[in-house]
Amino acid sequence: MNRRSEGYASGSLKWLVIVLFAALPMLTVCALPVAAWGAVSGVTVTLAPDSVFVGDRIHCIIGVRHPANELVALEGIDSLSVQPFELISRKQSSSIVSLGTAKESFEFELAVFGSGRLLIPPFSVVLRDSEGKVIKRDSYRSSTLVLVKALTDSTMREIRPIKPPIKPLLPFLLFLPVILGVFAIAGLVLLLLFFLKRSVRTSAEKVDPGQVAQRKLRKLRSRLSAGMPPPECYEELSNIMRSFLETHYRIRALEAVTQEIERDLKKLGVAGFESIMNLLAQADLVKFADSRPDAEESRQSLRKAEEVIRSARPSLPPEE
Amino acid sequence: MQHAVELEELGMQITEASRFIEKAEEQLSRRVIGQHDVIRRIFIAMLVNGHILLEGVPGLAKTLIIRTFAAAMNLKFQRIQFTPDMLPADLIGTMIYNPKDMEFYPRKGPVFANVILADEINRSPAKVQSALLEAMQERQVTIGTQTFPLQEPFMVLATQNPIEHEGTYILPEAQIDRFMMKVIVDYPSYDEELEIMLKSATNASAAPVQPVVQPVDIAKARALIDLIYVDPRVQRYIVDLVVASRKPAQYGIASLETMIEFGASPRASIFLLLASKAHAFLQHRAYITPEDVKAIAYDTLRHRIRPGYEAEADNIRSDDIIRQILQHVQVP
Repeated sequence: MNRRSEGYASGSLKWLVIVLFAALPMLTVCALPVAAWGAVSGVTVTLAPDSVFVGDRIHCIIGVRHPANELVALEGIDSLSVQPFELISRKQSSSIVSLGTAKESFEFELAVFGSGRLLIPPFSVVLRDSEGKVIKRDSYRSSTLVLVKALTDSTMREIRPIKPPIKPLLPFLLFLPVILGVFAIAGLVLLLLFFLKRSVRTSAEKVDPGQVAQRKLRKLRSRLSAGMPPPECYEELSNIMRSFLETHYRIRALEAVTQEIERDLKKLGVAGFESIMNLLAQADLVKFADSRPDAEESRQSLRKAEEVIRSARPSLPPEE
Repeated sequence: MQHAVELEELGMQITEASRFIEKAEEQLSRRVIGQHDVIRRIFIAMLVNGHILLEGVPGLAKTLIIRTFAAAMNLKFQRIQFTPDMLPADLIGTMIYNPKDMEFYPRKGPVFANVILADEINRSPAKVQSALLEAMQERQVTIGTQTFPLQEPFMVLATQNPIEHEGTYILPEAQIDRFMMKVIVDYPSYDEELEIMLKSATNASAAPVQPVVQPVDIAKARALIDLIYVDPRVQRYIVDLVVASRKPAQYGIASLETMIEFGASPRASIFLLLASKAHAFLQHRAYITPEDVKAIAYDTLRHRIRPGYEAEADNIRSDDIIRQILQHVQVP
């Protein structure tokens, strides 16, 4: 009998070793679920995961091997709804393991509260015959623990990692000095331009238009003496006179016809404007009426032009 | 030098030949007070075979000017009031059936006259406008199968009311282009208004207008105008003005680039030259100066330059565009 029992023991040990070897790779691959044997063989309790945050859910699978002709029920599982566990759902399934042996699986989804290492509460396995009579009632206390972590700032982040706000590549505050700098530079440039324009204007004002016109007329006279055709001389003379009138009297003369210049000069009350108009009219005749004056007439016109300009410039010293 | 002498002689002939203008102006001044510029433009158009589009509010003596002008110039005058129900036959004439000899005879319309006043031309439909504008261009009219040349001188003065556009048929650009000038008839000055009031507020009949011009005078004037000298500088100035209306940026007026939808057509250059010649003729000159060109530039260009959307938004009219062009294109 002892030998027999020894034989059984060694046989069960063999099976246990085989089962352990078979379960080892599974446990290695699925490291998280914890398998724990209950106090009575034939009842297994599996928890997954073994570490959760408060409020999270765990899956607890209780497997019971029993003779196929008996019915299995779990009692006291409702007590799981007491703190710190709350039953969310349960499933039951059965399967035939071997001839005459069946396995009943009870799968519970539990919400976990509290904190620290918690034990699954005890429960009872009730075996009934086919008529419903209780054959056996065994109480089990599982040694399987679940680690419940409390919610802290750091854990909150672990639960829902909040993405930090996207920072602009160049924040506005960084831009502000740049913008202000650009405005300051633009302002400086404008200021410089303003002063430059004013100085150019002042220097231009300093250059007497009469002096410029006189210089041009002297050049024109020398070109006429060098053989310049008189019609060309008159055209040049007309341009010199118009430029002078435009800069000296500040009237639009280059884009104006002679009659318009006459009107403007009359309005301004320019002394000796008849002489100016005669010169321009003479130049118009050459330009538009195909009039062909000789060199002597051209020289006289140049002299008249110089007189007109000189009379318009009281500050001009007499020509040498 | 010889050419200058020829021009001087031509100038004297022009002075002589243009006397009829002064006589006609004297007759006009009996009836019409002020509006000298309008009258001058009518003479210019008549001297170079052009037509005029007159624009002005009602009551500015447009009809009176034209009627008096025709009477003083001894020309046959016809006033045609354009209406929406008008037909081309009402203008050019039609074929009339004669039951006696059982044949169709052409019956000439009112267009067969020397001076036509097309009153409110934009009130008639496009087909009537086209009929008139075709007559203006071709100077002949076809009734049935027969073509009749129009009398010489033939001149159309069409009027438009600028304030009433309800129920009008706006003249297309291509047809407006056929008018040599678009003259704006403005209000008279204070003194002129006073004179008009005193002269018109009477029961006495208006002073009679004597025909003082013979057709031969006009023909002679036209012949002399053709001889007026145009220096190449002035020719280029005219072309510069017209091209500046198309490509203002080339003339330093880039701001106008977006203001002009389309610029003046080559007809503008032709009419600018012709009108400048006529203007020089009225000044008793045998040559054109840029002053002549500038004097008629507004009237010749204003209906040929179309301001763009941007210009309209800024209330810039074609006259403003022309002013800018004249201010920027350098005078020779």
